[in-house]
Amino acid sequence: MNHETTRRELLGHAVRGAGLLGLGGVAVYLTAKADDEGVWVLDTSKCVNSRLGATGIEACELCATSCVRPLSAVRAINDFEKCGRCYICPAYFDVTSAVDENGLPSAKLCPRDAIKREPIGWVDPDDPANNFYEYTIDEALCNGCGICVLACKDPSGLGSIRLEVRYDLCLDCNRCSNAAACPDDAIDRKPLSRAGAPQRHPAS
Amino acid sequence: MQRGASGEAEMQYRQVRVISGKGSRPEQFTTTLRGIALDRTGGLYAVGNSEVKLFDADGTLRRRWPTSKPGHCVAVDRDGTVYVGQEGQVERFGADGKPLDAWRDGERMGLVTAIGLTEDDVLIADVRERCIRRYDKRGRFRNDIGKDNRTRGFLIPNGVLDLAVDADGIIHAANPGKHRVERYSLEGKLLGRFGRFTGPDPRGFSGCCNPTNLTVTRAGHVVVTEKAGPRAKVYDATGKLLAIVADDTFDQNCKNMDVAVDAQGRIYVVDTVRLHICVFAPVDNQAASQPASAPAEGAAKP
Amino acid sequence: MKRSARLITILVLTFVVSQTALAQIEYERPVDVAPTEEDIGEGYVTPAVQRPLPRSTLLNITDTVLLLGAMGISAWLGLVRRSRTGIVVLAIVCAVYFGFYRKGCVCPIGAIQNVAVALTDPSYAVSYVVIAFFFAPLVLALLFGRVFCGGVCPFGAIQELVVLRPVQVPRRLDRALGLLKYVYLGLAIWFAVLPAVERDFIICRFDPFVGFFRRTGPAYMLIIGGALLVLGMFIGRPYCRYLCPYGGLLAQLARFSWKGVTITPDKELDCGLCAESCPYGAIEKLRAVRTSCLSCARCYTACPRERAPAREDASAESHEATG
Repeated sequence: MNHETTRRELLGHAVRGAGLLGLGGVAVYLTAKADDEGVWVLDTSKCVNSRLGATGIEACELCATSCVRPLSAVRAINDFEKCGRCYICPAYFDVTSAVDENGLPSAKLCPRDAIKREPIGWVDPDDPANNFYEYTIDEALCNGCGICVLACKDPSGLGSIRLEVRYDLCLDCNRCSNAAACPDDAIDRKPLSRAGAPQRHPAS
Repeated sequence: MQRGASGEAEMQYRQVRVISGKGSRPEQFTTTLRGIALDRTGGLYAVGNSEVKLFDADGTLRRRWPTSKPGHCVAVDRDGTVYVGQEGQVERFGADGKPLDAWRDGERMGLVTAIGLTEDDVLIADVRERCIRRYDKRGRFRNDIGKDNRTRGFLIPNGVLDLAVDADGIIHAANPGKHRVERYSLEGKLLGRFGRFTGPDPRGFSGCCNPTNLTVTRAGHVVVTEKAGPRAKVYDATGKLLAIVADDTFDQNCKNMDVAVDAQGRIYVVDTVRLHICVFAPVDNQAASQPASAPAEGAAKP
Repeated sequence: MKRSARLITILVLTFVVSQTALAQIEYERPVDVAPTEEDIGEGYVTPAVQRPLPRSTLLNITDTVLLLGAMGISAWLGLVRRSRTGIVVLAIVCAVYFGFYRKGCVCPIGAIQNVAVALTDPSYAVSYVVIAFFFAPLVLALLFGRVFCGGVCPFGAIQELVVLRPVQVPRRLDRALGLLKYVYLGLAIWFAVLPAVERDFIICRFDPFVGFFRRTGPAYMLIIGGALLVLGMFIGRPYCRYLCPYGGLLAQLARFSWKGVTITPDKELDCGLCAESCPYGAIEKLRAVRTSCLSCARCYTACPRERAPAREDASAESHEATG
C-alpha cells in the first residue's frame, strides 16, 4: 500500500466516523424525546357528529369515504355504559318518519341496517314499551358514516354512540387519509399509552 | 303566532319578556339554570348554579341567596317557604331566604328533580330511583308513587323526572320514556294518562324521551316542554293538543326545560342553554297586559 | 453492542409498560341516567365494548429485528456470497413480508417526513421503531453500501423482480433524472415541516406501490404504480434511481461506504460484461459507482472471473478485488 491509498483510506475512515457520529447523535436526540408507538385516534370532542352544541346539521360522512380501505377503519360503536336502552331509539329509528300501526317509527336510520335491537333483562309480556332494549352495532356492516352518531348526540339522545378508529382494521398509515379529510381535525396521532381511555363528553 | 296541530290557530301565544340570562351580573346565571316556580304574588323563583334568585314579574331581581348544593328544582309554599331540590336532599328556606332546614332520606332522595306542594304534603321526584315520594310538611315519609306502576315505573332516559300538583291534589307526572303524562292520586294510584309517540306529528310526543317537564294550569290544562326540537305545548285534561306555545324560540340544544304558569295564563319556560326564562302570554287574553294582581299559581297549590 | 443492548432494553420496557397501562384503563360511568343492571333485571350484565388493541409493541420490535437481519443478509449475499439467486430469494421474501403483509408501513422512505417534523417541531415525537427504521439503513449504507436497496426494500424488491430486458440509459440523462430524487426529498421535507394544520406527508400521499400492497387504493395511484412497474421491465428500477428520496440519502452515504462492490482495475479483463449486466448504470468506465449500486449482485454473476472454477487460485486476488 502506498501513501496515497493510506491517506485516502484514512480520509474515508474519518468521514465515515463523522457520518456515524452525526447519524448517531441525531438518533440519540430523537430517542431521548421519543414516545411510544402512535395510533390514530378520533377525538369525539372535535368530531362534529359527536361534539355538543352542533345540532340541526347533516351528519358528516367523510370517515366512511376517506379511508384507504374499502370499508373504513372508522366504525361506530355503542358505549353500553352510557346507552339509555330506550324503546324508541333516535339512532335506530328515523324518528321523523311516520308512525306505523305498532306505534313505532316506520323507517330505520342506518343506511346499511347495521344496528340490531334486542329486548334485554326482564321482558314485559304485555307491553313492549315497558322494556329495555340493547342496541348493538354490527361492525361488519357499519361503514362509519356517522348518521347514528349524530342522532344519538345530546339532547336527542345520550351520546353513547361514537365513531372510533378500530385498531384491528386500521393500517396505521403514516399519512391517514381520514385525518387529512376531516374538516374538524378530529383524527390525530396519539401515543399508545394515552390513546386507550375513551373520550368523555364535556359535563352537561 | 303559533298554530295548533290541525293547522288552525287554537290558542296562540307570543313571547313578551325574557328574564335573566347568561353572565356574571347578579341577575344572571353563570353555567346552569334548572328550575323555576311562581309564588302567589307572581314572583318568579329560579334555581341554577348554587343560588336561588327571586325576580319580580317584570324581571328585576328582588332577592337572591346561595344554596349549599346546586339546585335542580324549586317550589314555593303558600306561606312563602321555598323548597329547593338537590342531590340527596331538599333544602328549605324562609320567605326572606333564611335557611330553615334540609331534609335527607338516604336513598329515597337520590337526586330531586321536582317538588310539588299541597296543603299537607310535599311531593318529591327522585330521578335516581325513578319514583315520586310523598312526605308530610314535617319531612316524614308517607308513601311512594309510581314506583311499581306497570312493573317498571317511570322510564327516564333524559335525567329529569318532573311533576306538578293541581288544585285537587292530583299529581301529574311526565313519563318521557313512555311518551306520556300520567296522573296519580296522593296515595299512588294511577288515575289516568294521555300521550303517545307520534313522530313528527305535534299532537303527540317525539324523539326518544318526551315530554321532559310539565306544569298544570288553574283550568286543568297541562303545559309540557319537549327537547330535540325544543318546544312547549298546552294540552287539555283529555290529552287534546290546545296550543304550541313556541317551537322555534329556544336554543336547539335545550334539554329538560322547566316550565311554570301564572294565574293570568302566562307561561314561563327555562332556556337551559341561554340561561334565561322566556315568558309567553296568550295573545287573546286581555289580562296578559295588566300587571299581576291576582294570586299566582305555579308548581304550588295556592 | 452496548447501544443495541440499551435500545433493546428500552423497547422491552416500553412494551411492558404499555401493556400495563392498557390493562388499567377501565370504563367509568359519566352519565347517571343510563339504566342500571338492577333496573334491567334478570341478571343482565352490561357488556363491555370490544376495543381491539393496536399492533403490539413486540411485533414492532420483531419488524425492526427482521429489518436488521434482512439488511445483514443482503450485505452478506451481495458482498461475501455474491449470490444473485440469494438476492432474488431475499427480494421475494421481503416483498411478501414488508410489502404485502405489513402493507409497506412503517417504511424508511416515509420516515424521512416523521424525522424532519420531529427535528423541527418540539411537540412532535417519533417512536423507537420509526427511529430504527430510518437510521439503520443509513448506518449500514455508510458501512456496506445500499444494502437496504438490495432486496430488502419492498419497493425495490418488486421492481427488482420485474426487470426483463433492461436498456442502458444514456449517462447524461441518467444523471439528470437522478437529480429528481433530491428535488422530491426537498419537497417532502418542505411539506412535512409546515405547521401541523398545513402539514402534508406527500411521500405517503403519492406512494405508487402501496396500493398494490394494500390491494386497494385510488385509481390514479394504481395506474401510476402499474406504469412504473411496466417501465421497470425495460428501465431498471426507475423509482429507486430517479424518484426515491431516501435513495438520495443512501446514495450520498454509500459514497463513503467502508465495504462495497469494487471492480479492481488491474485484475479485470476489460471484457465489460459487468457493465452490460448492470441494469442500473452503476458501473462507469468499468468502475463501480457506489452511489448508484443497488447491491443486486448481477455483476458478479456476469463476471467470468467470479465463475472461474479454481476459486482457490484466484482467492487472494479476488479477496483484494472486492475488499
